[in-house]
Amino acid sequence: MTALLQSRKFRNTALQAGYLGFFLFLLIAAIVIGKHNLESQGITMGFAFLERATGFDVGFSLIEFGPYDTFGKMIVVGLLNTMFLGILGIALANIIGLIIALFRISNNGILNAIGTLYIETFRNIPLILQAFFWYAVLTHLPHPKQAVNILDSIYFSARGLYFPGLNVTGGAASLFFLALAIGLIIMIWFSIARRFNKIPKTTKSRIRMSIFGIAFLIGCIALVIGRIPETPLVSVPVLKGFNIREGIRISPELGALGIAMGIYGGAFLAEIMRAGFLSVGKGQVEAARSLGLSPWYVFSRVHLPLAFRAVLPTLINQYVWLFKATTLGIVVGFTDFFMVISVSINQAGQTLELIGILMLGFLVMNNTISFVLNRVNKAIALKGTQLRT
Amino acid sequence: MSNAAVTISGMNKYYGSFHALKNINLTVQKGERIVICGPSGSGKSTLIRCINKLEEHQQGSINVLGTELDDNVGNIDQIRREVGMVFQHFNLFPHLTVLENCTLSPMLARKMPQDEAENMAMTYLERVRIPEQAEKFPGELSGGQQQRVAIARALCMKPEVLLFDEPTSALDPEMISEVLEVMVSLAKDGMTMLCVTHEMGFARQVADRVIFMDQGEIVEQAAPEEFFGAPKNERTQNFLNQILSH
Repeated sequence: MTALLQSRKFRNTALQAGYLGFFLFLLIAAIVIGKHNLESQGITMGFAFLERATGFDVGFSLIEFGPYDTFGKMIVVGLLNTMFLGILGIALANIIGLIIALFRISNNGILNAIGTLYIETFRNIPLILQAFFWYAVLTHLPHPKQAVNILDSIYFSARGLYFPGLNVTGGAASLFFLALAIGLIIMIWFSIARRFNKIPKTTKSRIRMSIFGIAFLIGCIALVIGRIPETPLVSVPVLKGFNIREGIRISPELGALGIAMGIYGGAFLAEIMRAGFLSVGKGQVEAARSLGLSPWYVFSRVHLPLAFRAVLPTLINQYVWLFKATTLGIVVGFTDFFMVISVSINQAGQTLELIGILMLGFLVMNNTISFVLNRVNKAIALKGTQLRT
Repeated sequence: MSNAAVTISGMNKYYGSFHALKNINLTVQKGERIVICGPSGSGKSTLIRCINKLEEHQQGSINVLGTELDDNVGNIDQIRREVGMVFQHFNLFPHLTVLENCTLSPMLARKMPQDEAENMAMTYLERVRIPEQAEKFPGELSGGQQQRVAIARALCMKPEVLLFDEPTSALDPEMISEVLEVMVSLAKDGMTMLCVTHEMGFARQVADRVIFMDQGEIVEQAAPEEFFGAPKNERTQNFLNQILSH
């Protein structure tokens, strides 16, 4: 008996079994007690409420939604909005981050100063304040009648930003972007996966173009099928009476959050990217220059790929963090995932179930981001031992 | 004139107030093999790095293959395509395979089709005797192999002049000879070479001229027999005593 208690293997196993049992007990106890308490208040648990109509409309939706649609559909609307805002904000932040990072590493004193000023300003103001600020700016734009008008097709007004678009259903538009995104992912996978290394480069780029072409074609078919009948294909915003009609409307809420995420996230991404650029060995850049490569090729073929590899794990971290920042939608009234859940809790009262859906949703979305990017990271990692010069 | 590969006249280089290269005058003929030696900090690396403008000079002129090395970006890129460089720490691109390292610049800077560039790269990899490593990544090779890839990469641009910046000083002793062998065979084929190195055996074997630098100046230059047999300058004598005595 003492021999068994002295065994390290037995101790480890026993300890882990003990932990597991303890947490299982806690979990079951919580469910039982929670259910009992809810029942005593006359609330029944379950997901039946998802089938009930909400009875109200949402402010912004990528798909058709009305007061007679269900809570379930509203949650889907929120999910889509969150993904849309997340992609928009992260894309903007990447573009801004790259530009500011290049400013920061450039030898030009003025660009350097602009970059430093940018980062020290926007990194240090809380995101929630920036969201309020941009919301205030966008809602204080002129009324539609006096809207800032660019070439009669883009309008900036307090009701929103209007861009020319296509007369298609929201679902078809989502399908179009989904097709493009899947095509892009397959393209990236095809480019970096080692199993395709044997294919000659020219064939490879041809296959890459065809993958993109097919994805684009599928997207276009979705657009054609989803066309709203009896309307022109291109929808250009026009001023009609007191409001602007047609075109794509970016609501002030979405605009404010997108800009705030882009500007705030950009400041953080810029510093990460700058670290990446600085981490690249001077020798590799010199070697590229000494081979007669133009500055653009030195940057795009050597400096950027090496910098990207150095900081990708940190970037993944930042993307996931930035994605969660979409929950700030609630402060300006953007119907994101978090907000539709909050509203549903108020209206349907199924707090536990809804919080569960919220947590599960974010877990799935963020884990997908990090899973995909971690695979990319593994696939492009440098092989062998590296000499730092 | 037409036979000069590199002509440097009255060249001065400063790092801030530090006078790194003092009034350098040097003409290298086509096909000539030059070995540059001297104590650490004497400006030998800086000198050859000025020839492809990895370092900027402040005064004087550098003419490479008839092109003046001035502020003109086109001139700089043209000269860099014609002048290959091999570095102390190899500086291969770690994210590309050995073959891609070799084909990158021919395909981008010379617009060579991929199959042609790959065939040429394989020829040069055979020449440095590592064709079997073509699909590997630099980090998977030994130092000596990496340096030979670096030489093949430089050769793929079909340069008129090759610059070597201490190509063997980062290598383990047993790998030095495999790199030197490649360099000797290049020298025998008539490549114009400027080598900064402390391999005095190599200097004796292939150099047409040995240049000794100290404190940013060219102190002495002579054919190897004369340079090693009867150095004129006291600083040269001291230097040779130090490196040959051990």
